Amino acid sequence: MMPLVIPSDLIFVLLAAITIVSAILALHAKELIYGAIALGLSFGGMAGFFVFLDAPYLAMLQIAVYGGAVVVLILFTIMLVRREETDALSNPSEDGQSAVGLWLAGLLAVAISGVAALAGPTLPSEPPPGDLPVSGLGLVITAEYPIPLVILALLISAAMIGALVLAKLEK
Amino acid sequence: MSHTFIEIIIFPGFLHLTLVTAFLTWYERKLLARIQLRIGPLYAGGPGGILQPMADGVKLIFKEVILPYRADSILFLTVPLVLVFLAALPFAVIPFGQNWVIANLDVGIVFVFANTAMFPLMIILFAWASNSKFPFLGGLRSLFQQVVYEIPMWISALSVVMLAGSMSLVDIVNAQEKMWFIVPAFFAFIVFFISIMAELERLPFDLPEAEPELVAGWFTESSGAIFMLQFLALYMKLYLMSALVTVLFLGGWWGPAFIPQPVWFIIKTLIVTTCIIIPRGVFARIRMDMLIKIGWTRLLVISLANVFLTVLLITSGLAAAMGI
Repeated sequence: MMPLVIPSDLIFVLLAAITIVSAILALHAKELIYGAIALGLSFGGMAGFFVFLDAPYLAMLQIAVYGGAVVVLILFTIMLVRREETDALSNPSEDGQSAVGLWLAGLLAVAISGVAALAGPTLPSEPPPGDLPVSGLGLVITAEYPIPLVILALLISAAMIGALVLAKLEK
Repeated sequence: MSHTFIEIIIFPGFLHLTLVTAFLTWYERKLLARIQLRIGPLYAGGPGGILQPMADGVKLIFKEVILPYRADSILFLTVPLVLVFLAALPFAVIPFGQNWVIANLDVGIVFVFANTAMFPLMIILFAWASNSKFPFLGGLRSLFQQVVYEIPMWISALSVVMLAGSMSLVDIVNAQEKMWFIVPAFFAFIVFFISIMAELERLPFDLPEAEPELVAGWFTESSGAIFMLQFLALYMKLYLMSALVTVLFLGGWWGPAFIPQPVWFIIKTLIVTTCIIIPRGVFARIRMDMLIKIGWTRLLVISLANVFLTVLLITSGLAAAMGI
């Protein structure tokens, strides 16, 4: 039996389509709930990219943290606000804003492609050696970059303590 | 037929899951009935009315699916399907025996948790789509509860991952050949068990479907096939979490060799399921604030302390002396 082979370009295009279309939907959905769902789908597409790039651990965390926690928080916020207020908030579209956004996006695209064109031949030095197991990822993080890890941990603790202080101040 | 095909369609896959889930619905009713000195399902045929789930399934399929007034029909109809999908997908990485695992992922345990982490999202979406007060309150409660108890669950599973030195569920079970992890990671087991009771919305943590207050919680408005799918997803999740306890703490498929490995696995899993069901016939429900307080101030602290304990166990060589 012939093994079923799906060309990787096709997968890439499909994932890109899902990610981009749902990101646009997230911005343009009339109902905020659907916007949040589309955002979740977009995160799912990104997780697909991580799988595609041989980083399954990142993909799983992307789904668990962004799909499972961030989207839930957004939904929670939407549902706790009264309906009329969300309708008033929902995607205010002024022509001036979208023009500025388009200009900024174009500038960013030009900048990224310029950098990529300049650094093109030197950027991809070597593919990583084979399948990098998760333990290898852990070793890299803790053995080669311990100081950034500790700084990140401190940053997150500071953010948590700040959130607690703010919550206590409200009372 | 290739081995993988059989695995997906028959044994750890589709057929086995459906049958066991159907069995569990009957098992829970019968067990609770016996605890409370009732008879339970009896007349549907088979010994002890074991064909009751089939009768229920046929009944529910042929019942009308009622859309509540001004409900969001797209979400209302798709979310139950996604729930079943999310509950069934993690079984792809659960090893039922040395050769009975569909996919040995390097990140198996994170895969399982990534799928279960999507449950509260789907539940709150369904609750919102029902456009009714009881489901919405139940959905909010479910969200609170599952988000709180996910954290101790992940952290207590971390001690097991540290002991095994791998996130692959197959490697975790292989590391328990001489000593089950319930011994070196006993506190992690306690925390994990309590957390999955809350994740599964089982008594004493069944606030999301508290019958006296909320009718049936977040699935109050569902009927017919929609209700059946949700029921299926919930019981499949029950089986999934019991299987996860077996894999992480009870040595997975290991046991005396006169019984085949998958049978050992299923026996242990059903024992865990029984332990999860029994409190429903025994305990009362706890209050919401108590639930949140236990989660944040007790379980989280115990699970974090247990991580340090595990580090001590490994660095002092005690774990190696136990044969891990």
